[in-house]
Amino acid sequence: MKRYLVTVTVLALASLALAEPFVWLNAWTTAAPGEAVYGGTFRDYDTSDPRTFNPFVSAEQNALLDLADTGGASLLTRGPDSDEWLPYAAESFTVSEDGLVVEVVLRDNIKWSDGTPVTVQDYLFRYQAETDPEVQSNGFDGWFIEDEPILLEQVGENGLRFTFPVADRTAFFKLAIHRPSPDHILGELYREGGAEALRGAWGTETPLSETVWTSPWIPTAYTPGERLVFERNPTFGEWNVDEQGNALPYLDTYTILLVESGDAALNLYLAGELDAFSPRTLDDIGVINVAVQNGDIDATVIENASPVASSQFIVFNWNKASDPVKEGLFRASEFRQAMSHLVDREAITELVYGGAASPMWTSVYQVYTFWVNEDTAKFGYDPEAATELLAGLGFDQKNADGVLTDGEGNALAITLATNAGNTQREQIAQIFADSARESGVDVEVQALDFNLLVDQLLSTGPDRPFDAILIGLRGGSRDWPFGASVVPCDGNLHMYNQDLDAGCLTSEEQEAEELYVQGRKTLDTQAAREIGLEIQRIEAELQPIIYTVSPNGHYSWLTSLRGEHPSEFVNAIVGSRELVLTFKAE
Amino acid sequence: MLPFIIRRFFHLIPTFIGATLLAFVISQLVPGDFLTQKALEPDVRPETIDRLRQQFGLDLPWPVQYGKWIWNIVRGDLGMSFDSNQPVINVVRRPIQNSMYLVILSIVLLYAVAIPLGVYSAVRQYSIGDQVVSVVSYFGLAIPNFFFAQVLILGIFVTRSWTREAFGFNELLLPVAQMTSSNYLDLSPLRKFLDILWHMLMPAFVVATAGMAGFTRVLRAQMLEVLGSDFIRTARAKGLGHQTVTYKHALRNAVIPFIAGIGGLLPGLIGGAGLVEVVVSWPGITPTFLQALSRQDIYVVLGLLVVSSILLMIGNLISDLLLAVVDPRIRYH
Repeated sequence: MKRYLVTVTVLALASLALAEPFVWLNAWTTAAPGEAVYGGTFRDYDTSDPRTFNPFVSAEQNALLDLADTGGASLLTRGPDSDEWLPYAAESFTVSEDGLVVEVVLRDNIKWSDGTPVTVQDYLFRYQAETDPEVQSNGFDGWFIEDEPILLEQVGENGLRFTFPVADRTAFFKLAIHRPSPDHILGELYREGGAEALRGAWGTETPLSETVWTSPWIPTAYTPGERLVFERNPTFGEWNVDEQGNALPYLDTYTILLVESGDAALNLYLAGELDAFSPRTLDDIGVINVAVQNGDIDATVIENASPVASSQFIVFNWNKASDPVKEGLFRASEFRQAMSHLVDREAITELVYGGAASPMWTSVYQVYTFWVNEDTAKFGYDPEAATELLAGLGFDQKNADGVLTDGEGNALAITLATNAGNTQREQIAQIFADSARESGVDVEVQALDFNLLVDQLLSTGPDRPFDAILIGLRGGSRDWPFGASVVPCDGNLHMYNQDLDAGCLTSEEQEAEELYVQGRKTLDTQAAREIGLEIQRIEAELQPIIYTVSPNGHYSWLTSLRGEHPSEFVNAIVGSRELVLTFKAE
Repeated sequence: MLPFIIRRFFHLIPTFIGATLLAFVISQLVPGDFLTQKALEPDVRPETIDRLRQQFGLDLPWPVQYGKWIWNIVRGDLGMSFDSNQPVINVVRRPIQNSMYLVILSIVLLYAVAIPLGVYSAVRQYSIGDQVVSVVSYFGLAIPNFFFAQVLILGIFVTRSWTREAFGFNELLLPVAQMTSSNYLDLSPLRKFLDILWHMLMPAFVVATAGMAGFTRVLRAQMLEVLGSDFIRTARAKGLGHQTVTYKHALRNAVIPFIAGIGGLLPGLIGGAGLVEVVVSWPGITPTFLQALSRQDIYVVLGLLVVSSILLMIGNLISDLLLAVVDPRIRYH
């Protein structure tokens, strides 16, 4: 927290001297100072249409809102080079000693794209609407910590005060990304027609000229299934400049082609119709490299930039009252360690991802390098160690079929379910099953419909209907990479143990939960990291979830598209470039 | 004829209810619902899921859901899409329109190519030309559309490499995806029309080839039969020219079965062009339908089924009426 205060004071002093615009640093781009030129179009793509222009009812990723709403005047922001929050739409912010009260002072030079000044009222309105259960906003959940609301009120003419019910480092994120909604349009509507009117506003039939934004480019045309066109928002440059003082953004236009599939996007990229493409696999990269060699396109390819924030893992069911032998086994950490010894992560990386994946040992995705505990126990591929651990559990003989049995004749047979149609998961399950069978563990792979699989995984009670499931999750954050619903014993994604009446079953689970709660309350980032390292130590020993690999992300763009991050800042979290600093070489 | 049409119309009602009920029941047999996938997101609270389920009416027993839905249909409302939070009609209107462009052009291509080919094959039976037409049309029938489209895309890329080497011409001859060019919005109305037409050529050709084989073969057989009949011999004996006999007398009779089939084209128009649309990223019905299916956005799925079953029923009606017009042996009372 101290660090915040120092940064904040410095920036606050700077801003008092002059109502200075926010400066996008030269260090965030490979372009030499003054090299960038104005004009041009970035032709990007997306595989799904925006379902609404309404920032309140949008339930998922949406190309239009990502750029126009999320890309707007959030209170704080971060550069690609650090996890520290920088004041953005806020001129400055101060955090109270206990971390429960944060006050921000707004810049006075931000305007909506129609020229109306952005005021405190716009931020208050968004808060009011998001916390109104009738509006059914997707942002609703984030405003509550342990069912207590975060309070937001106006202080002075140009300030906002956030009061948190408890100290919570993830809640700070909610503050940081809080952005305005146009009180003079949507607020008016809300006051007149209530929640229903607000929910119904700004559907995709609404003329875009009736919408206003604070983002670098504002949407000007939308043709369903074809394209979204954004044009420079002249008011953005009044409070955003590069280090040389040039108003941003550089690009005049940002176009998103709406394509039906990644294959179609790749074809368009090879045809020179797109400026950038995110290769999904090494096959894509191969195709692009050939096109580059042939001289079809002039492109840059960044292979294996970093692991992405998603994982594939195996989870064993601890709630199997109907089969006490299996239940006992699945609850034994030695058993799960043995299973981790049977996961050949190298083979998975090579065979399933063609070399483009990274092994994973705890719930923290490898891309969150700051948080990852490199020194945890690693139960890597080692069939002999697995055999030894299983023998320790009594499974030391093999029956006629070569399957391990214990003294009472119970054979070690497991059903591993995964979702049908996900070839990567099916392959991983098969690789695991093959090496397990060699060691005398009979693993039967079952491909289930995705929803059926999820129903099984999320089922609760003392007797749940599966042995083991292979599935993946994605997400996490740079502020606190542990899942609120994953680590605590009552979380609905605490997948291995969902006997809600029994609660935590082991002291380690309990300890991890306590550390999780403590970590979230720890605002000092270094101290929180220490706690995070400890949670991972427990996860690694306990192996409640056996992580396999995290696929790697790749990038490619036409060489004429400039202003990308320096290569050390190209990863799955911060991406390959700041759009605002991107320009087209002449 | 009017009483017949009215009677036919009333027959449509039980058919319609049966079809939609079946579709609804099947959609309920699928495990989970629209919100199941959301439950796996670490940041979404279970209460939120419950609230949304209630809001969407997914917590009601399915007969109640069906009852509500069919009542809305009667009032001309196809319901709401969960996914996009807007009326189904808004979600499906544009894709239907886009698919229609593609399908209409492919039908035009189909007729323009298949009719002359069928006639040629019949008139020059067993000639080299006839054999070539047969072989090529069987290829068209055998290659799946989505694969054929991929092959053509590859061909377009290879052609670019070739024209670059040979003439320094580094442009694609035809677009490989999308319905419009990136500068579409700046074009004049005529150029816009041409731009879409240009983008349509390849996918429409692919769709047309699939139907061409069957059409050519059937027309050939029909023509052969008619050409062998007595009145053709009479016409020839009268001294009529070859062209007149073939096109004015034989072809007119040979196409009667196809006219009866025109009604069947109507649902085909909105059925879309199938997976070709996905391959070339055509914003038509197929991608919309597939996406709605995978997200379990059931009212969009059902809405498309309703529109196409209504068109199918109207199409059948038109076919019956057309038959009465072209075939003097059929009369409705």
